[in-house]
Amino acid sequence: MIRFEHVSKAFGGKVVLNDVSFEVPKGDVLFILGKSGMGKSVALKHIIGVLAPDSGKIFVDDIEVSALHSPDRKDELVQVRQRCGMVFQHPALLDSLNIFDNIAFGLRTPQYQAKMRRKLTEEEIGVIVEQKVDLVDLKIDILSMFPHEVSFGVQKRVSMARTLAPSPDYLLFDEPTTSLDPLTTSEINQLIDDLSRKLKVTSIIVSHDMACALAIADNILFLDQGKILLQAKPKEVVASQIPLVKDFFSETKELLPPDWNLKA
Amino acid sequence: MSFVVGLVQSWFPTEIFARHFRALYLAGELIQKLVRQASTGPYRKPQVLDQMLTIGVGSLPIITIATGFTGLVMTSEIAWHMDFALSNVSMIPGFTGQFVLRELGIAIPALLIVSKVGASMTAELASMRITEQLDAFKLLKIDVVSYHIYPRWVATIFSTICLTMISIAITLLIAMFTAVTKYHFNSEEYFSTLSQFITSLDLICALTKATVFGAIIPPIACAYGLKCEGGAQGVGQATTDAVVTATLAVILLDFVMTAIFSALL
Amino acid sequence: MSRTERKLQQETPNPLERAVANTMHEFGGAWIFFNRVMRTFKRTKGHKSAIIQQVADVSTRTIGTVIFAGVFVGAILVLQFDVMLRRFDAQALLGGLNTSATIREVGPLIISFLLAGKVGAYTTAELANMRVTEQIDAIECLGTNPIQYLIIPRFFAIILSSVVLLAIGLSVSVIGAILVAQTFSDINLYQYISSIPRFAGAWTLFEGLFRSVLFSTIVATISTFKGYTATGGARGVGRAVTESAIYINVYIVIVNFISSSILEWVHDFIFWIGALLERITL
Repeated sequence: MIRFEHVSKAFGGKVVLNDVSFEVPKGDVLFILGKSGMGKSVALKHIIGVLAPDSGKIFVDDIEVSALHSPDRKDELVQVRQRCGMVFQHPALLDSLNIFDNIAFGLRTPQYQAKMRRKLTEEEIGVIVEQKVDLVDLKIDILSMFPHEVSFGVQKRVSMARTLAPSPDYLLFDEPTTSLDPLTTSEINQLIDDLSRKLKVTSIIVSHDMACALAIADNILFLDQGKILLQAKPKEVVASQIPLVKDFFSETKELLPPDWNLKA
Repeated sequence: MSFVVGLVQSWFPTEIFARHFRALYLAGELIQKLVRQASTGPYRKPQVLDQMLTIGVGSLPIITIATGFTGLVMTSEIAWHMDFALSNVSMIPGFTGQFVLRELGIAIPALLIVSKVGASMTAELASMRITEQLDAFKLLKIDVVSYHIYPRWVATIFSTICLTMISIAITLLIAMFTAVTKYHFNSEEYFSTLSQFITSLDLICALTKATVFGAIIPPIACAYGLKCEGGAQGVGQATTDAVVTATLAVILLDFVMTAIFSALL
Repeated sequence: MSRTERKLQQETPNPLERAVANTMHEFGGAWIFFNRVMRTFKRTKGHKSAIIQQVADVSTRTIGTVIFAGVFVGAILVLQFDVMLRRFDAQALLGGLNTSATIREVGPLIISFLLAGKVGAYTTAELANMRVTEQIDAIECLGTNPIQYLIIPRFFAIILSSVVLLAIGLSVSVIGAILVAQTFSDINLYQYISSIPRFAGAWTLFEGLFRSVLFSTIVATISTFKGYTATGGARGVGRAVTESAIYINVYIVIVNFISSSILEWVHDFIFWIGALLERITL
C-alpha cells in the first residue's frame, strides 16, 4: 500500500504538488495522467525518497518515507528503495556492463543480499536473470551483448527486467512509452499489462497514454496544476464531464479497437 | 597477412585516428573558407562585435585572474633561478621581462582561451548538431560557416590579441612588483633595464603568436562540434577531443614559432 | 541555469556581486562534494579492483598525449632559456636551469592543463552523460550508492594515474629539452647533464611531486563534481564539460600560487633548521 497524505511540493516558487492525497491498495494498478510538467514524475520521485515533500506525509506500507531524509536514517531509505522498482523514461542501462550484468546489478548489491540473508551464488543469479529475461519476452542469447548493440525497444525491456530482478513489491513506471514509436509503444503497453496481471504487483504508472490506462488500470488519477482533478475507475473516467478529462479521452477514442472493453 | 593486419588494428586504434584526422581535415577546410570570407566578405560586423563582447569581455576576468597568479609564481621563480645561476641580481628585469613577453604572457592566456572559448564553441555546435538545428540551417539555405563560425573566428582573433596584450601588461607589472619587493629595485630602474632587453621584434613575436593561436583555436573547436555524433555522449566526447587537440596544437605551434623567432633573435 | 543561480540573479542584480557569489557557490559545492566522497570512501570498502581497472583505463588513454606535450614543453623552455643565457655566455648552466624550472613549475602547470582536458573533461562527459540519461538515478534506485560505485573509483584513479602521468611527462620533457638543445643550439651534452645536479635535487623532485598531487586532486574533484551534478540533456553535458575544463584550470592556477608560497616557507624553514643543526654540531 502506498499513501500520500496532503503532500505539497514547490520548486522555487512554482507549486508542483498542492495538497495531494491518495492511496494505492495492495495489488492495484494506478495510472497517473495529466499534461506535461504537472507534477506526475515528481510524485513518483517522492515515493522512492529522491525528493522530500515541503509538507505532508508519504507512506509505503506504514513506513513514513518522508521522515527518512535525515542522514542517520539513510539505511532505512535504502531498504524502502529496495522494495520499489522504478522504470525510467530512458532505458538508463549502464553502458559499461553487458546486458546480463545490467540485469544482475540489483542482485549483487549488499542490500539485496541482506534481504535474502546470504550472498547469492553466480548460478542462482544466472537462474534469476534468465527467468526475468523470459518474463519480458526476450531471448537468452542477447545476454552477452552490450546495451548499445541492441534496439531501443529491447533496451527498454532489459531495463524492465533489471527492475524486476530483485522482485520488488511495488513497480513505478515513469512515462514508459514516451518517445517510442507506436509499434514499440503497444508492445511495451502489452508487456506492462501482462506483468501487472502475472505478477500481481502494486504498480503506479505515470503516462500520457489514455488507451493503455483504460485497458490496464484499476484506478486513474488526473493531476492538473498540482491538484487532483479526478480519481476514478476507468468506467467513470469515460463518463466524466470534466473538460480536460474529456479532451484527453476524445484524443484517444479513435485509437481504441472497436471491441475494447473496460476492466471492471 | 590477415593476422598481421589484425595485430596492427588491435594495437593501433585506427578508428580514433580516423576520427581525429577527419576533424582536422575539416578544420583545415574551415580555415580556408574563413580566410576567403575575410577577404571577400560578407564581414558581418554586428555579429562580430556581439561575439567580441561575449568572447573577449566574457573571458577577461578569468584570464586576468589566472595570468595574474601564474605571473606571480613564474616571475619570482625565474628571478630566483637567475639569481642562483648567475649570482647577479642586476639582470632580473631583463630576464623576467623577456620571459613574460616571449612565452608566459602568451601561452597561458592561449591555453585558457582553449578551455573557456574553444570548449563552449564545440559544445554549442555539437548540441546544435544533435538537436538537428544544423540540418534546419541547411534547409533554410543558411551557411553555418559564414553565418555562425565566421563571427566567432574574427572575434576570437581580436579577443586573443587584446587579452594577450592585457595579460602581458599584468604579468609585467607583477614581475616588476616581484623585483621591487624581493630584489629591491625601484620601478624606474626596472623599466629602464627592461627597455634595454626588449626589442620591437619581441612585440612582433608576441603579436604573431597571439594571432596564430586566436586563428587556430576556433576552427579546431568548430570542426569537432560539426563532426559530433550520437546524443549526449557525443557532445561530451566532441568537447573533450576539441579541448585536447586545441591544447596540443597550441603547444606545438608555440614550439614552432619559438624556434623560428629564436633563430631570428 | 541552476535554481540557486536564478535565485542569485534575482537577489543580487549587481553583476560583480553576482560573480563573486557565483564563484563562492561553485567552490562551496565542490568542497562539499569532495568531503562527501571522502566520507563515503572511509565508510565503505572493497574499492581496490575497481580503482585499478580505472587507473589502467585512464593511463592507457592519456599516456600518448602526455608524452607528446611533455616533449614540447621541455623544448619550448629550453629554447627560451637558451636565448636568454646566450647573452651572458652562461650556456653551461642551461641544463640545470631548464630542468629545475621544468620540474618545479612550468611542467606540472602545462601538463595539468592538458590533463584537465584529457582526463577531466572526459570524466565529466562520461558522468554527465550517465546523469542525463538517468543511469545514476537507476543505480541509486537499485540500492547502490552511486558515489561509491561510480565516483570513488574514478576519483582515486585520476589522482593516482595523474601523478604517474605527470612524472612521466616531466621526465620526457627533460629528455625533450636535451634533444632540442642538441639540435638547435650547439650544447655540450656532458656539460648540459652535469649542470643538472647543481640546480635540481631531492627538493626539486619533491616540489614537482607535491604539485602533481595537488593538481590531480583538483582535476579529480572538479571533473567528478561537474559530471555528477550535470542537468539538462545534451546541452547540459556540453555545459558541464566546458565549465569543468575552465574551473579546473583556474583552480590549478590559484592553488599553484598558494602552494608555491607554502613550499617556499617550508624550504626556507628546512634550510634554517639545517643551518641551526650545523651550528650546534660545530
